[in-house]
Amino acid sequence: MPGRPSRQSRRSVLAAITALPLTGALGACSDNGSASSQSNSSTSGTRGTTTITFWSALRGSQEVVDAFNKTHDHIQVAFEQIPSGTQGGYLKLSNAARAGNAPDVATIEYPQLPGFAIDGVARDITSMLGDGLRAKLLPQSLGQTTFENRTYSVPLDIEPMVMHYRKDLFGHFGFDVPTTWDEYAELARKVRRTGGGRRLATFPTDGMSQMASWCWQAGAQWFDTSKGAWNVSMADAPTRKVAAYWQRLIDEDLVYCNSQTARVYDAQIGNGLILTRLSGAWDAGAQMNARPEQKGKWRIAPLPQWTADRPSLGTHGGSTFAVTKDSTHPEAAMEFIEWQVSHPDALKARLSSGASSQYPAATELVEVGRAAFDRAYYGSQDIYRLFEEEAHKIRDGWVWGPRMTATGYVMQDAFARAGAGSGTLLDAMHAAQDGTMPDLKALGLSTTQHST
Amino acid sequence: MTVTAHAPSAATTPQRADGVSRRKAQRAAKRRRNGAAGVLMAPFFVLLTLVFLIPVGTAAWLSFFSDDQPGLGFGAERTVFVGLRSYAAVLTDPTFLSGLGTVALYCLIYIPLMVIGSLALALLLDSGVVRLRSWAQLGLFLPHAVPGIIAALIWLYLYTPGISPVIEALGKADVTVDFLGLHTTLPSIVNIALWSNLGYNMVVFYAALQAVPREVLEAAVVDGAGPVRTALQVKAPLVRSSIVMVAMFTLIWALQLFTEPMLLHQSSQMINTRFSPSMYIYDAAFSRNNYSLAAAASVILLIITIAVSYGVTRWTNRVDSSEENAR
Repeated sequence: MPGRPSRQSRRSVLAAITALPLTGALGACSDNGSASSQSNSSTSGTRGTTTITFWSALRGSQEVVDAFNKTHDHIQVAFEQIPSGTQGGYLKLSNAARAGNAPDVATIEYPQLPGFAIDGVARDITSMLGDGLRAKLLPQSLGQTTFENRTYSVPLDIEPMVMHYRKDLFGHFGFDVPTTWDEYAELARKVRRTGGGRRLATFPTDGMSQMASWCWQAGAQWFDTSKGAWNVSMADAPTRKVAAYWQRLIDEDLVYCNSQTARVYDAQIGNGLILTRLSGAWDAGAQMNARPEQKGKWRIAPLPQWTADRPSLGTHGGSTFAVTKDSTHPEAAMEFIEWQVSHPDALKARLSSGASSQYPAATELVEVGRAAFDRAYYGSQDIYRLFEEEAHKIRDGWVWGPRMTATGYVMQDAFARAGAGSGTLLDAMHAAQDGTMPDLKALGLSTTQHST
Repeated sequence: MTVTAHAPSAATTPQRADGVSRRKAQRAAKRRRNGAAGVLMAPFFVLLTLVFLIPVGTAAWLSFFSDDQPGLGFGAERTVFVGLRSYAAVLTDPTFLSGLGTVALYCLIYIPLMVIGSLALALLLDSGVVRLRSWAQLGLFLPHAVPGIIAALIWLYLYTPGISPVIEALGKADVTVDFLGLHTTLPSIVNIALWSNLGYNMVVFYAALQAVPREVLEAAVVDGAGPVRTALQVKAPLVRSSIVMVAMFTLIWALQLFTEPMLLHQSSQMINTRFSPSMYIYDAAFSRNNYSLAAAASVILLIITIAVSYGVTRWTNRVDSSEENAR
């Protein structure tokens, strides 16, 4: 039949056309980052005032910017509140950078900083960072923003992980505050037995940052940049220890296992179904803001340790400020950043929002924070004193990966499966590493893999 | 053509001249036909180039280049030719391969359900069993008029515990369902796709059934075939080409699975950001800022789609011709 071949080729072409939208979309999107157009920095000639732009998702930023603008004539800051990183904030920033109109100053959390530094969004500010400011900052925090001796952002806060616990319920059931992880596990069993249907905690299936903090404390090193390569080992011995520890608590049904963004987690805290929250110092303010009705019920204690006599700690949360590659006034941007991270008025303004309990990376501000923080919610506990003690335990040398958000997504996907009974937390760590390597290789980075 | 037949035996000049002029006339006619065909087909090729060849070419180009920095990557970027490096990365990425597996499973569940379901509905409508035929048709077709993203939103509402009236009603009857659990996400997505597209494909089949000659059906009835037998053994084979077409389009659409899981991802941790190859591509480009990886993945997906469509076409053609030979 002569008609056959032509019909077939026509169908193939049709098939090919129908298959196209995706590839087309990609081609079109690659140079289409201009969705967010942001007026860039400009100098209004009349009084010599420099206007810089600032993006942040942090609570209390508006108050800080207002305080800055009130006290400064030659620099004015145009602030834009953006969604938090995973809610689209980072997408907005990288799109803007791609289109060449990123703000002068952007807020970047520690885990995402290496990615933005590699992509060239965060500017190398080594030469602009004065020794004065450098000396004010906790060395562990500056270590997180410095790669190959080049600094890419200025830390605002550094958040040691602490244990928030229900003082009222601990008292009611006669529980002691655990100081080691062994005691914590023992307490988990006790709560399961006698706690009236409660659990000690929730293992967060969306908790890459919590898992990282626990592994950091235990001595893990997921990423290491020695010898000029990204050496990846997300299932090293300390990580295996931590994964096995939590796996056991999950297997014995001693902790809930769900996402912290889920409605059910809200209910677990709101209804007093969990007795502890393991999170950064900042969470004290967030809790205060989210659940005013639980006033007086919570206290804060140090995170349990593996060995009580050799304390160590990881951070959970914390932000830094970067000057972007598109900034036309980097000096003004640096001045604003310096004021924001080290001036007492900046911290006072932020705490005045009532939603923050950030632990400043600039150590001399700790006293300011202690004085400005309203202690009523925590039964007048001096939480800043505690944070200060804990901050010094933070283990130096932790490095976040070049694509930490993506790494975290793969890990959390496998956490959720483990929570549903498919696979283990350790499987999740292997999956995260396996899902990260192709990315790093495609970026052209030097890589090695380890398992110790 | 007599000229060529005579040419070797009687090679006289006038005859040859006559043949040449006739050939010239034929060539001119051919040229006119080609010209008309060219004009009529030009819009197609212009569009094909603009919306298909250029984007595909761009993606292919992107996939061979990367903004590289040596070592840890903190130095200055420069664009370099990287050959097949991005392709190697995609093909060794377990998350991409598992996405392919997910879509393969999705196709295996969805395509048979879709083809059989829409054909069955079309046969029912055609047989006249259904009362209020036009209302039934409208009701079945309406979901297709709802844009995919809206459909996914509606179903997201129905699937989400705590706000879904369906889950609440089932809960009152002591049935607990998690539509977004470990093993239920894929069926939930299939359900959305079926709801959206069943009516559309049913209309395709119904239109094809209208073209079945009435005398064939009468002959079947005279031969003693009941309505079911007529539907399955007379009507269905006669709309075979429509079945192949619907299956093919459904397949191509299914391989690009994106909207439904992308939306349900908001509500379920069981649907990750790299659930399907298309979501992998989106994630690679916009969350991982890895454009060459995304481009390589989309070229791979395109090749797979073309290969599978070509394979299906070849296979159905072979079955066609072998059946015809058997007749």
